[in-house]
Amino acid sequence: MAYSELVKNFDRTRGYMRQFFVFGFKSRSEFRSASTRSYDDERRRVESWLGDYMKFRQERDGKKIFISMDSREIPSNPFYEAFRAKSFTPGDITFHFCVLDMLYGGKKLSVRQITDSLYNDYFPETDIKKLPDSSTVRKKLAEYEALGLLACETVSRRKFYFINKSSIKPEAWRDAINFYSEYSHLGVIGSYLRDRLAGKDTIFGFKHHYFLHALDMQVLYNLLSAIHEKRCACITVPLRRSGTSRKLTVLPYKILISTQSGRGYLLAWHYQAGKPEIFRLDSIRVAAAGKVEKHFEKYTSWYDDFRKYQWGVSSPRNFILQHIEMTVHVAPDEAFIIQRLEREKRGGTVEKTGSETYKYSADIYDCFEMIPWIRTFTGRILELKCSNKKIEAMFYEDLMMAGKLYGCEEAGSANMGTDGVAE
Amino acid sequence: MIFHEIYGRYYAAVAEILRRISEGTLAEHDIPEITAEKAFAESVLKIPDALLDGTWPLLYRDADSGRLKSVLRNKPFQPLSLLQKRWLKSILLDDRVQLFLSPETDLKELDNVDPLFTPDDFVYFDRYSDGDDFTGKEYIKNFRTVLRAIKEKRWITVSFSGGRGRHHEWRCIPLKLEYSSKDDKFRLLINSPQERRFINMGRVISVRKGRNFSDKQLSVPERRQEKIVCELTDGRNALERFMLLFSYLKKETRKTGDDKYEVTLFCDKDDESEMIIRILSFGYLVKVVSPDSFRRSVAERIRRQIELFRRNSGRNGVCTE
Repeated sequence: MAYSELVKNFDRTRGYMRQFFVFGFKSRSEFRSASTRSYDDERRRVESWLGDYMKFRQERDGKKIFISMDSREIPSNPFYEAFRAKSFTPGDITFHFCVLDMLYGGKKLSVRQITDSLYNDYFPETDIKKLPDSSTVRKKLAEYEALGLLACETVSRRKFYFINKSSIKPEAWRDAINFYSEYSHLGVIGSYLRDRLAGKDTIFGFKHHYFLHALDMQVLYNLLSAIHEKRCACITVPLRRSGTSRKLTVLPYKILISTQSGRGYLLAWHYQAGKPEIFRLDSIRVAAAGKVEKHFEKYTSWYDDFRKYQWGVSSPRNFILQHIEMTVHVAPDEAFIIQRLEREKRGGTVEKTGSETYKYSADIYDCFEMIPWIRTFTGRILELKCSNKKIEAMFYEDLMMAGKLYGCEEAGSANMGTDGVAE
Repeated sequence: MIFHEIYGRYYAAVAEILRRISEGTLAEHDIPEITAEKAFAESVLKIPDALLDGTWPLLYRDADSGRLKSVLRNKPFQPLSLLQKRWLKSILLDDRVQLFLSPETDLKELDNVDPLFTPDDFVYFDRYSDGDDFTGKEYIKNFRTVLRAIKEKRWITVSFSGGRGRHHEWRCIPLKLEYSSKDDKFRLLINSPQERRFINMGRVISVRKGRNFSDKQLSVPERRQEKIVCELTDGRNALERFMLLFSYLKKETRKTGDDKYEVTLFCDKDDESEMIIRILSFGYLVKVVSPDSFRRSVAERIRRQIELFRRNSGRNGVCTE
């Protein structure tokens, strides 16, 4: 098939964009699952969509392609471009412009009238084979009605289509559209509205702004539809070990968002496992809505406890709580540490236990997830106690290994670096 | 359906070409230029030909004048889709929306539109809990004053409390409102000849608009950037976690061994403290190589922690690897 920069669906390209963006050290030969031609086509496509954001680096073992960007400098998520590359047929584009033109000014026309007008008024001299037939016109009209571009009324069993007028002026929403196109988790839809605005604004900037979630928006859209309609969903997720995938039936309930990594997760009841589970959105390949769950409350009643004692996104194996306490040293001029504890904790309490010591205590389902956060207090942790002793051991063992990395595993005789100066 | 051709670059380019024809402002040689502006890098290989050879039969050549004409009778237009209306309805439910919409915005048409999502659908589980009060009357008033001042290119006099509780009043040019989803705060970037300065909107007490400024009065200093080089060992999925965590920064990655990588991050110098703790969160899987001062800051915290560990537990602090 000849190369096209448009695609029917971008599932495959989604995978490539992710690889180029997240990793960016692989050469063509390392994309094992793809043929050379397929790799070249995908790379060319992504380059065409993203332009200068694609970078190249020649290394001994081949050319490395990567996507690199500083989100503080970019007013619009570049990955939204992937959603603007849907393929279409000549009939689709002909229908789009001509039928909307035909119905301009409030005209109401039947399917027959629309088809006749296409043939007689718009293309009287065109080969009829090049034009959409009446069955195609009927299907396209129904599609445009579902899209909300057209409305329909039935008179004496005949359907009459007309433009679905709107009094909404995108310009009146300008600031909201500019902000939420980036902030909102279905922001690509806002970016379609932003395309209608005259000129470009740079009033809003974003820090800690993650672009990659854009590629998961079709999956997210399907899951949100299921959540709102209280429907089950059939999701396809990969099996890490075998490299294959499996289909699961779940009841989607919440979307969990990490503002610190940009990742999105689905929290759902997994029927087969008989418990709630969490799935990364970027690993869900397909999400299709299923039947309405009649016993919705029965499968979501666990949520309040879950929310109260859950730290991150590990699927709880059981609902047994672990207790953790971390005591930190806070000097008199370090009020920001207390602020950090208060604003970053998820559940639990912070109490002053001495003139310069504060203790954070919490009951959490899986304290293992807390370790990266605990490590951010490295250098001031006076005591770490956990009912799960593996957590304590892991923290200290990791610490010693980190010390070894910097040549300071034996405190007090630390060699702090190449200059050998301990601070 | 989010992924649909009606939102695509090709339709946008063709719409612009048809619009220019209907206005009588299109010369044939403009078509590649419009295509390049409205569509993708390689679209110029497809769109002009498809229009001119009749593959997409929307143009024809007038027999008398030889000029290109459109088969349409009106300027092309596209009504708002239901998806777009549902998205607008969804953002109306967010706490921050009052910062951006004037009270006169007509919302009636959305009364019977179902939102695509509600705030209740999402849980921001690691967001800091001391975010701005987006619904506070004073906050909204100050925010909107700043927003107008940026658009109207005006000076402002802003009164705010600093990080240590001291009161300040500055006369300055507002440049940009920067939002962080992690902090859930807006910060105002202002002009300052020496360094980039921000004011937390949550600390603003009042704002007054002043007269217009001229472009000559603008002085936006360059960001002070730092290059941090790290050595990463890919255990516990650290590679992917690290790459995602810092994916908002410019970066370069090289594979240096079986499970070893060298990652170069380009970050703001002002964010050094944040970078230190974020890198520390990876423990021994990430080692800072340079710059030296940054490496020493990380190493010093680890050294202090080992010392505390020894002192408080009576253990000898020798690596248990």
